[in-house]
Amino acid sequence: MSEPAALSVIVLAELTALRNRLAKRSRVRLALIAIALVVAAVVIGGTAFTIGATVGRFLAYSVDPLLAAGFTGVSLLMLVVGFPTVIASFFVGRDLLQLIVAPVRTRDIFIARLVSAMSANLLISGILVAAVLGVGVGAGAPSVYFPLAVVLIAIEILTITSLQAILMSLILRWVPARMARDVAAAVAGLTGAGLYLAWNLSIRQTFGQKGRPDLSGLTGFAQHIDWLPTTWPGHALSALLAGSNGVAIAWLAASLALAAILMAMAAILYEQTLPSGLGIFGGTSVVWRRRTQRQAASRLARGAGSPALAIARKDWLGFRRDVRRLTRLLPALLLPIGYAVVLSQPGRTLSGFWSNVALLTFLSMFMASALATPSIPSERRGFQLLRMAPLTMWQLLRAKVLIALPAVLATMLVFSVAVAVASKSGPLQLLELLAFGVWLAGGFVSISVSGGAIDPRFEATDDRRSVGLVGSLASIGGSLGFALLSIGALALFVLGGQAAEGTAALGPIPQGPAIGTLIALAGVVLLAVGCGLVVLLMWIANSRLRSFEASIAAT
Amino acid sequence: MALFDRTSAAVEARQLVKRYGVVTAVDGVSFQAMRGEVFGFLGANGAGKTTTLRMLCGLLKPTSGTALIDGIDIVADPLAAKARLGYLDEEPFIHPHLTGREFLDFVADLYRMPRGRQREERMERLLNLFDLAQKDGELIGGYSHGMRQKIGLASLLIREPSVLLLDEPTNGLDPRSARLVKDLLEELAARGTTVLLSTHILEVAQALCRRVAIIDRGRIVAIGSMEELRVQAGSAGANLEDLFLKLTAGPESREMIERLLESGS
Repeated sequence: MSEPAALSVIVLAELTALRNRLAKRSRVRLALIAIALVVAAVVIGGTAFTIGATVGRFLAYSVDPLLAAGFTGVSLLMLVVGFPTVIASFFVGRDLLQLIVAPVRTRDIFIARLVSAMSANLLISGILVAAVLGVGVGAGAPSVYFPLAVVLIAIEILTITSLQAILMSLILRWVPARMARDVAAAVAGLTGAGLYLAWNLSIRQTFGQKGRPDLSGLTGFAQHIDWLPTTWPGHALSALLAGSNGVAIAWLAASLALAAILMAMAAILYEQTLPSGLGIFGGTSVVWRRRTQRQAASRLARGAGSPALAIARKDWLGFRRDVRRLTRLLPALLLPIGYAVVLSQPGRTLSGFWSNVALLTFLSMFMASALATPSIPSERRGFQLLRMAPLTMWQLLRAKVLIALPAVLATMLVFSVAVAVASKSGPLQLLELLAFGVWLAGGFVSISVSGGAIDPRFEATDDRRSVGLVGSLASIGGSLGFALLSIGALALFVLGGQAAEGTAALGPIPQGPAIGTLIALAGVVLLAVGCGLVVLLMWIANSRLRSFEASIAAT
Repeated sequence: MALFDRTSAAVEARQLVKRYGVVTAVDGVSFQAMRGEVFGFLGANGAGKTTTLRMLCGLLKPTSGTALIDGIDIVADPLAAKARLGYLDEEPFIHPHLTGREFLDFVADLYRMPRGRQREERMERLLNLFDLAQKDGELIGGYSHGMRQKIGLASLLIREPSVLLLDEPTNGLDPRSARLVKDLLEELAARGTTVLLSTHILEVAQALCRRVAIIDRGRIVAIGSMEELRVQAGSAGANLEDLFLKLTAGPESREMIERLLESGS
């Protein structure tokens, strides 16, 4: 009787677990997820393909730097967004403890886990696949270009995943194991936020002016990063497009060699760091001691305790002491601060009121999403305590909204003042921005809390995985809808005001106070629809929490 | 002398059923636990004990049937029923980033307990009783399993509920703490608190419970005092372990062990 190979046993067990997880879900839910994925693939993939085809067809002279920039950009995205998946696959999970005490080589564990570690990077690379194939179609590439593109992207994924494993192993060597994951997450989050900021400002510079987009900045930037290994697959493809097959093979070989070296390094480092990594990630324990013994404030207080205040106090204490949650918040805070600092520089001013509105909307949505979406799922098993208390789920939702709102409001108000001053807006426009910021913060926080409550994953150990796909879609979709309605309402109010004064460009429509009032009323209708959207999502969230019955695993 | 009515039911399950798709976890469970009684709820792993307790405390909604706490239907009027009961899960629900004292304060506020000296003193007594006072300042996340169990119990006792539903309360406790919990439950029952105790440890049930219900595959197979169970099982003089094994009869373990060893040799 032959013994089964450890590698195949582990992979098979993981596949069986995945199959069981899928089978456990309802068919309707699976169908919804499949539809959402197909729609996302068509929209995102279609856009990327179109951009690629346009570049291939009309910007042949810039294909090499743009392909290099594309590969590097997506690699950075993978590095940042895919990092938690890599950490989770290689270092988290009690099943790893079982593997480590079994007679299994660490190398086998590494290779088996590599498959799941690459999953997030694989998904992200879909954008690159569509864009690069688009370039090929646009440029009329030879048929060998297409399989080669797929192979090169696969090599890039392997390279980046290995690099992530190396980074985590190195962090574990220098940073105390208990903090390593948080340090890694903070670095990844800050890098991501910084990259987004740089990208966004670069796009503003490229497409900000009227007329033709100015690509010189973008291609100039790409030439600066030409030496990065992440650009090599791009060079291979552009060489093939230019008919230099020998050069293409050389770049392919270089990319392959790099991937092999990084993978070998990752495997060796993983062998050395797995036990220490597992020591912390396999089963967390928090030991912390207050420096001073403070008597609880309740000794002095009088009256009945308030559940809402108790939840707020508990959340505040938990947030302050949970390094992991704090590190997740850093990127969210970096964006408004970064924008405010960059935009206050001379020559970086915004192009006007609507630009301020768009920025305020985006940041408000981002802050609300980061702070409020995980607020209910982050209760973990403690949620059962709340369910057993004489407390309605509606009260819980309200408490969570009121807890997250001040933080988002404060950031938004400071940011509104900063951008208004930077863009030299008048006091009236500042007031409009402030009122709009308060409205947006209230709406986005309510929607985000609801999204988390609609599809909570109480057993998740990481806030970023604590909301399921349905909840995330509800939160993002609801926020986008609310943003469109709010901006639409604001536009109608401004237009109504102009129409009342007779300064609006309405074409043949007569202007005057009556028309102005009518337009403003249409704005009120949009606001009412926005309110309706918020109420609807909160109602769904309330119903979902009331009927929540799943058992919550000990975490 | 007890100042409460021992003949009134504090916990009542009426034909409780819980189905998950085609699986019936609890199938028509009915029983009553009287005021001031320690009532044992026994069963093998997966027999339906925890599901029943979770329906009684409002964490799960019964597919059919009624769960009453002090005569209040937990589905129809959950807030009033929940205010009267305390439930301790076998893995207590805690917040790892709070200290023991902060957690007790949180629970007291959640149940709208009046703040002030009296509440603080009670908290202090409970922390001392469970040997947790010296751990004040340490987060619950760093507690051992036994300490978590103790802070979970303290969080119930801080607010003096009239009904306690306890799922394996002595699980993970050292012998001294286990004894403390047993004595405490007896004392609470003597003062009128109803305790519904789910446990695997049959000695605990035999020592503490005036009556027990034995659940097997989602159904109550026997209910009553030790004497009544002996009559039901037709085993005069048997202890609770023998009765339990007889009433939840499966293949004899000795026989199974022999078969296993034979197949290995």
